[in-house]
Formats: sequence, C-alpha cells, structure tokens
Amino acid sequence: MDETLEIDTGVRRPKKNKKKKQPITWRVIKNQNQLIWMSVPLMLYIILFAYVPVWGWTMAFQNYRPAKSFGEQEWVGLKQFKFLFTDDNFIRVLRNTLAMGVINLILGFVTAIVLALLLNEIKKVFWKRTVQTISYLPHFLSWIIVTGIVATSLSINDGIVNIVLMKLHLIKEPILWLSEGKYFWGIVGASHVWKEVGWNTIIYLAAIASIDPALYEAAEIDGANRYKKMMHVTLPGIKATIVILMIMSIGHVLEAGFEVQYLLGNGLVVDWAETIDIFVLKYGLAQGNYSLATAGGIFKTVVSVTLLLMANGISKRLGEERLL
Amino acid sequence: MGGKLKVTYKYSLIALLSLSFTLSGCGGNNAATTGSAKEPASTESASANNGGKIEPFKVSAFIGVAGQQPTPDNKIYKKIKEETGASFDMEFLAGDINQKLGVMIAGQDYPDLMTGSTKLTAAGAYIPLEDLIEEHAPNLKAHYADYWNMMKDPNDGHIYILPNYGVYNGKVNSSWYSGPAFWIQKAVLKEFNYPKVKTLDQYFDLIEQYKAKYPKIDGSPTIGFEILNYDWKNWGLFNAPQHLIGHPNDGGVVVKDGVAEVFANKDYAKQYYQKLNEMNEKGIIDKETFVQNYDQYMAKLSSGTVLGMFDQHWNFNAAEDSLTTQNKIERTYVGLPLVYDESTKDHYRDLAVLNLNNGFGISINAKDPVKIIKLLDTLMDEKWQKLFSWGVEGEDYIVENGRFMRTQKQRDDAADATWQLGNKAKSLFEYLPKTEGSYSDGNSTDAAAQPEEYKAGLKPFDKEVLDAYGFNSYVDFFSDPPPNPVYYPAWSIDLIEGSDAKIASTKLNELQTKFLPKAILAKPAEFDSVWTDYTEQIEKANVKAYEDKINEQIKWRIENWSK
Repeated sequence: MDETLEIDTGVRRPKKNKKKKQPITWRVIKNQNQLIWMSVPLMLYIILFAYVPVWGWTMAFQNYRPAKSFGEQEWVGLKQFKFLFTDDNFIRVLRNTLAMGVINLILGFVTAIVLALLLNEIKKVFWKRTVQTISYLPHFLSWIIVTGIVATSLSINDGIVNIVLMKLHLIKEPILWLSEGKYFWGIVGASHVWKEVGWNTIIYLAAIASIDPALYEAAEIDGANRYKKMMHVTLPGIKATIVILMIMSIGHVLEAGFEVQYLLGNGLVVDWAETIDIFVLKYGLAQGNYSLATAGGIFKTVVSVTLLLMANGISKRLGEERLL
Repeated sequence: MGGKLKVTYKYSLIALLSLSFTLSGCGGNNAATTGSAKEPASTESASANNGGKIEPFKVSAFIGVAGQQPTPDNKIYKKIKEETGASFDMEFLAGDINQKLGVMIAGQDYPDLMTGSTKLTAAGAYIPLEDLIEEHAPNLKAHYADYWNMMKDPNDGHIYILPNYGVYNGKVNSSWYSGPAFWIQKAVLKEFNYPKVKTLDQYFDLIEQYKAKYPKIDGSPTIGFEILNYDWKNWGLFNAPQHLIGHPNDGGVVVKDGVAEVFANKDYAKQYYQKLNEMNEKGIIDKETFVQNYDQYMAKLSSGTVLGMFDQHWNFNAAEDSLTTQNKIERTYVGLPLVYDESTKDHYRDLAVLNLNNGFGISINAKDPVKIIKLLDTLMDEKWQKLFSWGVEGEDYIVENGRFMRTQKQRDDAADATWQLGNKAKSLFEYLPKTEGSYSDGNSTDAAAQPEEYKAGLKPFDKEVLDAYGFNSYVDFFSDPPPNPVYYPAWSIDLIEGSDAKIASTKLNELQTKFLPKAILAKPAEFDSVWTDYTEQIEKANVKAYEDKINEQIKWRIENWSK
C-alpha cells in the first residue's frame, strides 16, 4: 500500500527509514483526548477479561479448595506441575497433542489455500457460490454432531467409507477404522478439514479479491497461462495473509482439540487419542483438582506464547510480514 | 472552558456506562447470604403452613441428570402449590456433569435444593441438616430413624443429603429387577424349550447355537454378545467377574471377611476375559462393541438383533420399552444370575441399601432452609407419597376392595412419557425422600410391585415364559438375597476428590479400558502375553492406596453403622 502511495506522490523515501517517534507531551494528549477517551472502554475490557483472570494462575501453586477464601488456601509450590510432568502418560499425551495440532495446522492450511485457488478459477458465479456455501456449512455444526456423522460413516455395517472402498475393490472386507491407533490421527485431521475448510477459505478469497486485476492482464500479455498466473500472481498476492495467519495459528498448535478426541476415542486407541485437555479433565476437573487443571492451562499458554514468538522471529529474519 | 468540561463529562459517562455493562456480567459472590443461611432464623418458622394461611414461595432445584421440564399446568405440581404454597423452579443438567458442577462451585452459584454429589459436599455447598430435621421435621426424623448414622458424612459427621432410595417400610414386594445380570433374549430361551441356565458356559452355548441357526433377525445380522464400555458406563466390561464367583456388586473390589481387594487382575477375572476372547474368535461378540457409544449400543438393542449382554437393567430399560412398543416382546430380555460352576450360589440380587450421596441436599444459598425442610417433611406424608407414586385416585388408579389397581388405559398412560410430563412429578419425586415397600394400608408403594397389578399387566408371551419356569415374576430367576454386611456396598464409599486413592482408581479404570478390549480382541495365542502386560501395569499403578482407603472406610462403617 505504501508503495502505491509513494508512486502517486512521487516522494521517494529511503527504504529502511523508521518514522521518527513523536514524544508524548501534554499537548499531544490534549489534542488526542477524544481518541484516548474512546479507547478507555476497550482498555478496561482487556484488563478485565485478559489480565484480571491471570490472577487465577495462583491456583496452580495451591491445593485449591473452592469453598475457602484466598487467605485460607494451602500453598504447595510446584507440586501440581511435578505431577503433570512426571506422570508416565504425559509424554504420550504431549506427543498426541502436538502431532494432531501440527496435522490440523498443515492440512488446514494446504486444503484451504488450494480450495481458494481453485474457487478463484471458477468463472461462473453460480457454481462458485454453490461450492463455497456447501463447503463452509459444516463449520456451523457442533463437534458432537460431526463426530456422530464420522462414527456413522466409518461404521462397518453400512458405513459409507467402507462401502465406497469395497465397491472400488480397494479393500476386501470392511475396516474397523476407529479401533486402530494408526488411523486415528488421520481421521481427526480429515474431520477437521471437512468441517473447517470452507470457512478457512473465506479469508483467502477476500485476499485474492484485493489483487490488482492489472497484474493479471500484464501477466497475460507476457504469455502466462492459468497455472503460471496462479503461481506468480495469485499466490504472491496472498502471501502476506498466509504468513500472518500461519504465525497466529502456530500459537494454537497445542489446542489440538478436546471434543473430537474425547468423543471418537475409546479404549483401543487411547494411546493415540488422549490430548493434554483430556488428561487435564481426567486428573484435574473430574477429580475436583482445579489446581492441576490450572497448571495444565499455564503449561499450554507458556508453550503457545513461546511458539508464537519463535514463529514471529523467524518470519522477521526472513524479511517476511510479521505480527508483532 | 465550559464546552470542554461538557465534552469530558460526556466521554466519562460513556466510559462509565460501558464499564458498568461489562461488570454486570460478572456475578456477585454470595458470601453474605452464606453466613446467615447457616444459622436459620427460627422466627420465620411460624410463617409456612402452621398459621393455616398459605404463603406462596419458590424453591429452585438443580437436578443432576438430563430431563424434561414438566408442563406448566402439571397436575401434581399444581396440587403442591395449592396446598403448601411451594412452586418449583427446576434446572436440569445439560451437558457434562463435572463441567457443570465445576462452574457452579467456582461461582458459588447454588439453587435452594441440589441433588447429591460428593463434589458439592467437598466444596461445602450443602448445609448440615441434622438440627433442622430434629427441630422442624418429625416425619423425616421418623423416616430416617434407623439409618441416622449411615447418613452422616464420614469426613465430618454431618448429614448433608437426604437419601432418596433405600428406606423400607412394611412388606417389600418386588417384581422388577433393576440390577446387573447376564441378559438373554426371551426368544433364545423359547427356541431351546426354556432350559435352566446356570453357568457362563451354558449361556454362551445357547447363544452360539441360536446364532448359528438364525444368522439374521428381521434382515439384519444377528449379534451374539454386546459389551458396552463407554465413559462411566463401563461395568459391562469390568464388573462381571465378581458376580461369576458368587459375590454381590461391590464395584471395583471383592470384600472377603471385611477385607477388600481389587479383582481386576485376579485369576477369576482372567477366566472371564479368556472366555470372551474365545467367543470373539468364534464371531459371537460384536466387532464394533468397543468403539460404539451409548447411543449406538441402545440402537442395536432396540433393533432386537442382540442376543445377550452383561449390563444393569436400568441402563437399557429404554431399549426394552422400544421393543415392547414395536410389539417384539420375544426380543426383550431375561436376566440370568450366572456363575462359573453350578455349585456356586448366585448373589446378584441384594437387599436394597441406602442410596448414599444421592437425593436432595439444601444449599448454603437457600434463603429459608426451615421452610424447605418443612416442605420436604410435609411431602413425606403418606397422602403425598401416594399422590407422587400412584397418582390421583379415580383418575390414575382405582381401588378394589382396598387394593390399588389400574385399568389398561391407566397402565398405558403411566408408561407414556408425554402423559407423565403433565400428570406426574417424576423428576422431583425421584430425588425426594420416599416411602418404599408398603403403605400403612398394605398397598405397594410402587405400582409395578403390586402383585395383582403386575400379573394383570403381563403380556401373554411373558406369561408363557414365567409359566414354563413356574415363576411369579422375573425376579424369581435370582436367589433370595442374604442380609447385607454392615459395610455393603463398597462402591458407595467416597474416595475423596483428588486423593491418592481416587487417582489410583482412575488409573486402574484407564488400564482396564485400554487393556481388556485388547485382550478380548487378541488372537487366542496372544491372550496370555496381553494379560501379563496388563497385570504388570496394574502393579505399577499404586492400587494399594485405593484398597487401603476402601478398607479404612469399611472399618469405619463397621464401627459407626453397627447398631
């Protein structure tokens, strides 16, 4: 955006010229007092809902009992964290969370971008809208319904997946998909894609729409075909959007989910299905041990923030867009 | 200057308003009411019904299971309102109980009445009831007289919850067995001319033969045996071994001579799972059994294609209702008290025990506990009990020579869920203290247990089955229960949230959920290696802490509950 502005005015600034910071004086404050007042409610909102709750983190260092007041709580130091990190299951649970998080992240990105590119190539508006609508509708279903659909389609009696595979002669007899750990991550990834791909596509379509049509015309004059245009105009055009979204989602890698794994999981696949959230539910909330649940939450937050900062740093090094 | 001030004033007003909107979302703490509710003001006690004038008041109640609101013009609630002034504002569980309780506890947001939960007790959400009952509730006092010590919380000696079931008066008739058993389709018994089935081997033998003879039922493949292992409904997989050695349901332990031990890894457990492994190899056990959820399980039972399963009757009752509605009586089930060998006496049926940690407790937020306890006391009156259980005389039941009976129309109505919403206070009565057994006039407190009413309501096919065995009801398949030991049952022992015992029991549960399906589905040659792996894991899981806690509580119960 800056570039077009610069060209228009004909002013050329040296490339890495940082804007000189204006010192904050009373005058500035007075001048901008309306803006400042307008921001007060938002600041209060953030303080109230984002910073005040952090106070609750103190629970992780206590043996928290709900009925007692803060002064009466028993302080236990890092006991809850020790329980979390020394449990045999924890490594396995962490592995599952990371694996499914990464699978969801990558699959989610690739499928959404590919679908956006393909949709962009459809010239008939009616078909474009139809495909888009159908693909984003599952987003509005809750996971309990989606897992119900998934479980039914994977069933060995009359499950559509087995029927199709049998008809195609890819398998000889129905496979009990939900009983094998090796399929579980894939099933979770696929369910995520089915549910969210259309929804995730919307933002890329918006980004594509903002690309200057002149660039396509120029490319055409230079003899670019459809695929060349996709590769050299569309993709670079939405690169900034992709990078920003990527950085943001990397922070959420540990949010691999709770519902899907909880609802689709069973004794046979538990080694692949249990995530940090389920572990915390079992040994924290279900035991009335709110402190452990909080400790789990803190762990996740710390990892998320670290990952986010790392991704942001790498992106900065590579000279790409960044979030912070 | 004046203009500027005005502007500043305007903006601060906006800021203030937005702040107040945000703040109003956060509920206040009820600490103030907490303090006063613990010591009920005795001056108010005269106001309820004693003066003869009825003052309307509202009681809010939380029911810890999913349910449906009664219709606004419900006949029974209307009567309660007319005669006692009380109207109920019920909240049913939607979603996960642990999550809901967590939210309630975190916000100290409690209605007046709450169904029992050890989590709420641990959070100090209930008020002690013993003094209230002594002072204001003569009916309740008499009702619970024999059980007073049992109701006391082992941790601090207070009574927090009024148990809803397990207090018996007069003769106890029963015609409906609600507990655990190996269930088999009536059609299978009929096919082989009503044989006597005593042992596990005979049972599976029948199922195998029937499945071979009829590979399809109504066009769908026949399923030999179903095992439900879903979420907390996991007894279908876990509990059978203790029954097969002639032990009653103690949950996760077997108690011999007052000493409890975990049985999950014992040889008699192995014997059962090995049998299931063998049956799985023969294709008797449903392939999907360990990946299904409760809904899928119920759907299969309701289709009538499942020949047998181990379960508690109340857990699949709805599927049987559905089969009855489809007029497939021969596909409903008979409970069998199986054992390993014929010399073992079965002990599935037990004498009813006090339903601890279940029923209603009054919360610390209740404004007027005296009024509420008086209401509960009034509802304990026989007149109200009959109204709750049988309904209105002439409308919902008839009296013939002093015996309560129902016409077929009344019977059908009583089984109709929609009718119940308008004419029964089912969800409330379920958790109220209640008379069980017989009323003072000798009628059964439960229509299904009134012998002549039960006989009159039997379907012809059921009559045929019972006649073939020479029994009066399906309960007669089970041996008469001996008296319960004082501590019985061990499953009602509160392990205390977050304790080592509770963690060990959670671990054990996890291992069973993971390894038992593996062992059952394994190739027969691999069964032993899976089993060894499983028992080694259990040894690591500190089950000792779990056993110790149970033993400590058994001792406590023997000391405190013995009369």
